[in-house]
Amino acid sequence: MQIEATDRTPAITLTHNPLKLVMAGESFPEDVSAFYGEVITAINQLATTASGKLEVEMAFIYINSSSIKAMYRIFEGIDAYRQAGHEVQVLWRAEEDDDIMQELGEDFKDRFQALNFTVAQHG
Amino acid sequence: MDLSQAILLRNSLRNNHVIMAYNGTVSDDLMVTLADLLKERLVANDDVKRSKLIFAVFMEGVQNLIWHGKEHEENMGMILITEHNKEITIMCGNRIEKDKTQGLKDRLAQIEGADKDTIRQMYREGMSNASEHDGPGSGLGLLEIARRSTQPISYTFVDVDDHSVDFILAATI
Repeated sequence: MQIEATDRTPAITLTHNPLKLVMAGESFPEDVSAFYGEVITAINQLATTASGKLEVEMAFIYINSSSIKAMYRIFEGIDAYRQAGHEVQVLWRAEEDDDIMQELGEDFKDRFQALNFTVAQHG
Repeated sequence: MDLSQAILLRNSLRNNHVIMAYNGTVSDDLMVTLADLLKERLVANDDVKRSKLIFAVFMEGVQNLIWHGKEHEENMGMILITEHNKEITIMCGNRIEKDKTQGLKDRLAQIEGADKDTIRQMYREGMSNASEHDGPGSGLGLLEIARRSTQPISYTFVDVDDHSVDFILAATI
């Protein structure tokens, strides 16, 4: 899966070899369900379609609260893959001095405590 | 409105340090356009951290207007932004049905009395429950606004008639 970034939606790539999900950019789509629907479906299917270690990398600039609802469902899918017995590594990247994205990463980490979850700032 | 009233309105906007004022239908396109204008102005102030807080509060406030405006026939919202003594205040107002106010009042009272740590905990719990939230939003919008504001949020409800109430929420950064 490869979705190009726009002014208000993130770039999203999901590859199977290596198994990696990368999301980066802005997230305030006009229709959150329409934008994230296929992503949530693809993540939920990982437990039956993929195997091996899943690497997740997220680097957002801004996320509105309704996108957070969709992101939570994506993390639920990621956590389900872990529960199916696979290794999962999440890297949440916040821009340097971006307290909002740093805190949001910590909030997701708090909600998914069983995930190997790193929140890091980058320049 | 005659021209002398227009001058009075302008003076009022000026005296109250209003930098942006809008009243009417609030669409998704309008939100993006105003957000771009606001961003340009904020970037000029060169305080990235604060700009991000202001942008987040603006987006959540205006998204509330879009969603809840759709529930009301007139679909009207008000956006006022003031800048005074290096503080930006974002006010968002809309008309809501009277029988829908109690839930909102309860939620605001809960947020109003909470410190930042409590708000963050409420936010985290809200993230887990967001999937069950009724409507296009996540139920996190008010918490997001409260969390990003540097002062406690303020709000008022003003009766319009037997069925409608004007609701205004203000957040200062």
